[in-house]
Amino acid sequence: MSILGVGLGVAALLVVQTVMNGFGEEHRLRIRESFGDCVVVGRRPVEQPKELLAALRRDPAVLSATPFSEGPALARNGDFSGVAFVRGVDPADAGHPARRYVYAGAFDELDDGRVILGVGLARALRVQVGDKVEVWSPAMAERAEKGKAPLPAEFEVCALVRTGFTEVDDRAAFIPLRRFNQLWSMGDRVHGVTLRLKDPAAAYETAARLNVGRPALQFVPWQEIKKNFLEAIRFEKTMLFFLMFIITLVASFSIGSTLFSAVIRRSREVGVLVALGARRWQLIGLFGLQGLLIGALGTGLGFLLTWLILAFREQILGGINALFGDGNLVANVYQFSKVPLHYDAMDFVVAAGFTLLVTTVAGLVPAMWAAGRKPSEAMRDA
Amino acid sequence: MPEAPIVLAAQGLRKAFASPAGPLVVLRSVDLTVRAGESVSIRGSSGSGKTTLLQLLGGLDVADAGAADFLVPGRGLVPARRNLGKGVGFVFQNYQLMPELTALENVLLAARITGGSADAAEARALLEAVGLGARLGHLPAQLSGGECQRVAIARALINRPSVLLADEPTGNLDEATGAEVMRLLLQVVKERGTALVLVTHSREFAARTDHQWVLSNGALSPA
Repeated sequence: MSILGVGLGVAALLVVQTVMNGFGEEHRLRIRESFGDCVVVGRRPVEQPKELLAALRRDPAVLSATPFSEGPALARNGDFSGVAFVRGVDPADAGHPARRYVYAGAFDELDDGRVILGVGLARALRVQVGDKVEVWSPAMAERAEKGKAPLPAEFEVCALVRTGFTEVDDRAAFIPLRRFNQLWSMGDRVHGVTLRLKDPAAAYETAARLNVGRPALQFVPWQEIKKNFLEAIRFEKTMLFFLMFIITLVASFSIGSTLFSAVIRRSREVGVLVALGARRWQLIGLFGLQGLLIGALGTGLGFLLTWLILAFREQILGGINALFGDGNLVANVYQFSKVPLHYDAMDFVVAAGFTLLVTTVAGLVPAMWAAGRKPSEAMRDA
Repeated sequence: MPEAPIVLAAQGLRKAFASPAGPLVVLRSVDLTVRAGESVSIRGSSGSGKTTLLQLLGGLDVADAGAADFLVPGRGLVPARRNLGKGVGFVFQNYQLMPELTALENVLLAARITGGSADAAEARALLEAVGLGARLGHLPAQLSGGECQRVAIARALINRPSVLLADEPTGNLDEATGAEVMRLLLQVVKERGTALVLVTHSREFAARTDHQWVLSNGALSPA
C-alpha cells in the first residue's frame, strides 16, 4: 500500500507537470506561429515597407520577413454575421503557418476574391468552402459617413483553418495583403512585419540588435507578446508542483507509519540483531534502505501510472466530461482541441529525487528510534 | 600452573526499575569474575534478577552503577555495552532465531553482522557439532524446540566468543530434550575453551558447572 501511495503521488505530480508543460509549449508555439518570432510595429503604419523588408531579409539572423496588415471587420452571410479579425497575408508565402492548419480547401487558392476563415467563424456564419461571405471594413463605414454608399467586399471561402486555438479559429480571416490594403485604404503602407528567426530562443537579443538605428519601430520578441500569459503559466506550474509535492509528502508519511509499525512488530528481531552485534548504523541502514526501496518501487510505479494516464488522457477526460456534463473544457476554456503534453526529463529527475529523499527520510526516523533502543527493552516488548 | 585470563569481570553492578511504589532495586552490588574456560551457574527464584544480571554482563542493558567488561581477543577487557557481538555470545530461553532464515543462515547472520571471519563452512561445522548437519536448510518453524536451541548455541559460538551467556536455555524444553541440550552446551563450550555463564532454575544443571552462585536479594552468594 505504501508503494501504491508513493506511486499515486509521483503520478499526480508528473501528470500535472507534463500537462502543464504541454500547455506552456503549445501556447509558446502558437504565439510564435500566430505572431511570428518577432513582430515589428510602429506608432504609425510602416510607410516604406519594401526598404525595411529588404534590410531585414539581409540580416543573417532572419529567416524571413513578411509584411502584414490586420484589423477587425464585420463578416456577414445573409442573416448570419460575426466579427472577423482580418489579416492581410502574402498568398505566395510558402512558410505561412496557416498552411499547417488548413482543415478544408486549399491555402494556395487564396486570391483577391477569396478568403480563408477559421472554422469557428465559418460555423458562426454558416458557410463552407465555396460559399460567399461579405466583409465590411471600418474604411467602408468612413465612406458611408461621407455620404457615399459603400458596398461590401464579397469573398468566396477557399479554405478553412483549425488551429485548435479557439481565439484564432473563432475570429481569423485571411485575405491577400493587397486586397486588405484596398479595403482598409492603406495604400502601400502595412501595419507591421513578421520576422521568423533562425534561433527563436534568441529572439530577445536579435530584436534588441535589429532595433538599433530604427527608433520609430518597435521590435517585439515572441516572449514579450503575451508575457503575462506565459508568466502565469510558469507560475501556475510552480504552484502545482508545490501542491502536488504535498501529495508525495502525505504518501511518505504513510511509509513512515508503515515502517514504524514494522519496527515495533519486529522489535524482538531488532533486539536480537543488536545482541548479535549489529551497529546503530547497520539498523538505520536496514530500515532506511527499506524506505529507499519503497520510494524506488513507488517512483517506478508512478512513472508507469504517469505514462498510462497520459496515454489515455483523452478517454479519461472524455469520461469525466460525460460524467459531469461539462462538455469539452479543454477546447472551450483552454482553447485546445486536445490535452497537450510535453515530457520534460528534468521533471522526472526532480520528482524521483524528491520522492527518494522523502521516503528515505521517512524510513530513517523509525530506524533511528529502533537503533536507539536498549536490546533488553526491544526483546522484552516483543 | 598459571591462572587462566579473566574473560568477564563485573564490579558493583546495580540496577533498579521504576515502579508505582518507588524504585525497585533488583541488583544491589554484584561482583563476578569469570576466567577462560570456566563455567559458572547462577540460580535464583523467579524475579530475582538473573536475566537482568545476564543482560548487564552482556551489555544488553545499562547498569545504574558499576561496570561489566569482557575480553575481546587482541584488545583485552572492554566495556560490554559498546562491544556487543565481539567477545560474548548469547543463548536465550526462547531461542530468538530469525524466522525467515534457515538454520545455516541464522548462524551465518551473526558472523556477517560483526564482519567476523567465520564462513559458511565453519557455520556448517558448528551445526554438525550440535547434531544438526541434516537440518541446515530448515526454517525455525520446521525445527523442534531442542533443535532451535541447538541452532542458537551454534549461532552464539560462530564468532568464537570468550564467554557465552546462556539465559535458561532449557526453560522451554521438556526434561529429556533439556538434558540433551545442556549436555551438548557444556560439551561444545568445553571443547572450544569458551567460558560459560549459565542462568538456570535447575540445581542439577547448575551442579555440572565449575562454580555455582545464587542470586538473592540483589546479591550473589556461593551456592
